[in-house]
Amino acid sequence: MCVGTGLCFLGLLCLYRGIFGPTVLNRMAGISAIGTKTLVLLMVMGFIYNRVDMFVDISVVYALLNFVGSLAAAKYLEMRGEV
Amino acid sequence: MEVTLLVHAADQCFGLIEGARKQAIELLDSAVSLTAETRSIEAERIREFFRGAQESKAEFQNFISTFFILFGFWVLLSGHFDTFHLTLGIICSLLVAHVSHDLVFANVRVGDIRLVIIRFILYIPWLIRQIVSSNIHVASLALNPKMPIEPQIIRFNTKLESDISWVVLANSITLTPGTITMDIKEGEFYVHALDRRVAEDLKAGEMEDRVAHVFMEADHIYVQDVLDVARIYGALRKS
Amino acid sequence: MTRSTDDIIIKTVSRVLVPFIQLFALYVIMHGHSSPGGGFQGGVILGASFILLVITYGLDQTKRRMSEKADAIFSSVGLLIYAGIGALCLILGGNYLNYGELSKILPVGLAEARALGILGIEIGVGIAVMAVMFSIFLDVSTGGLPPSDNSEEGP
Repeated sequence: MCVGTGLCFLGLLCLYRGIFGPTVLNRMAGISAIGTKTLVLLMVMGFIYNRVDMFVDISVVYALLNFVGSLAAAKYLEMRGEV
Repeated sequence: MEVTLLVHAADQCFGLIEGARKQAIELLDSAVSLTAETRSIEAERIREFFRGAQESKAEFQNFISTFFILFGFWVLLSGHFDTFHLTLGIICSLLVAHVSHDLVFANVRVGDIRLVIIRFILYIPWLIRQIVSSNIHVASLALNPKMPIEPQIIRFNTKLESDISWVVLANSITLTPGTITMDIKEGEFYVHALDRRVAEDLKAGEMEDRVAHVFMEADHIYVQDVLDVARIYGALRKS
Repeated sequence: MTRSTDDIIIKTVSRVLVPFIQLFALYVIMHGHSSPGGGFQGGVILGASFILLVITYGLDQTKRRMSEKADAIFSSVGLLIYAGIGALCLILGGNYLNYGELSKILPVGLAEARALGILGIEIGVGIAVMAVMFSIFLDVSTGGLPPSDNSEEGP
């Protein structure tokens, strides 16, 4: 429970970069970092609800979404000329 | 008047000779292109022969290794071990291995796949130990009130050859805190390091040696390569 | 959006990850009864693996693996499996999609026939969703034009 609260707090710290980042790429990196924290938070929730195997599946799917989303967003920004 | 006739006749002769010269040049050009074509057909045949010798054996090995790795992954994911789910697992692994079997092991030499996998599994605990020690060092740097960091960008060349060993080295460098791989341009690594001690650790090159040992690229001669080349050399000498 | 990247790290990592993503998608489809997932979710993940290939390797290389003709055939086959199982139940004498009737032709009991029927439906839905996601992505990213006169390519 304490671990979960700590992770939540760290994730909200990353949100600062996600909102106030000077460029778009900063915001993208911030959101990606929040995604990493969310992943571990999902596993901790699995421990709390005592059904770890179900939450492992959800974590892997979210990791995949984070990866492909960052790639697609970076490619789009490169196409647009922001980089 | 005979002079004009003579000049006219000479002009026509020159025209005919010019036409004949152009035709001869055209004939020679087509002959040259035909020989170039036959030479390239010969080279294509030899290249097909090279490719066929390595690729069919490599394809089957790739397929089987990919199938086993995917089936292990399936068993790890699914907690049920009864016949129905295992049969489903075998069918799904076969399907995915058939569709994308040339994706996982694209550059490994034929015959080396098992050894590479075993060595890679043995490399992971050393990497975890490096990560833990670098973590402690970077945490002590960041929590220091003076924060004695000196960020610098290092460029270095590696002795690794294939793309997957470059990627394993780049990912290992990024996973250890304190260093991040920024780019790999034409075999040269651009790494951003946080302070001098971490940069010295990187320049010493122990990680590079270990990755070269995993992917068997550390200046050895492989018996399998010599045997492959001998067979092809023998066939070429006969033909 | 469909040109290949020249960054070797991204190319190699996505090339190694794609079979694992596809196997995970098939795992999600097959285990719809006991963990979160099912047909639609697995189909989306399977389509995402092909989209990853398009983003990193470019359009031509991916078209060699899944051409547009194969894509169209897959979407129709998925729908055919779904409707076919329903029609099969209808032919065997029950209502549409009443999987209990399948126990007349398969040597299993009533409850397992229902489970197998649901599994078959999920597989059909998964295949159809994969094909449709890939085709929508191709249409949106190339602007609907054939590849020779692509005006959507950036700098």
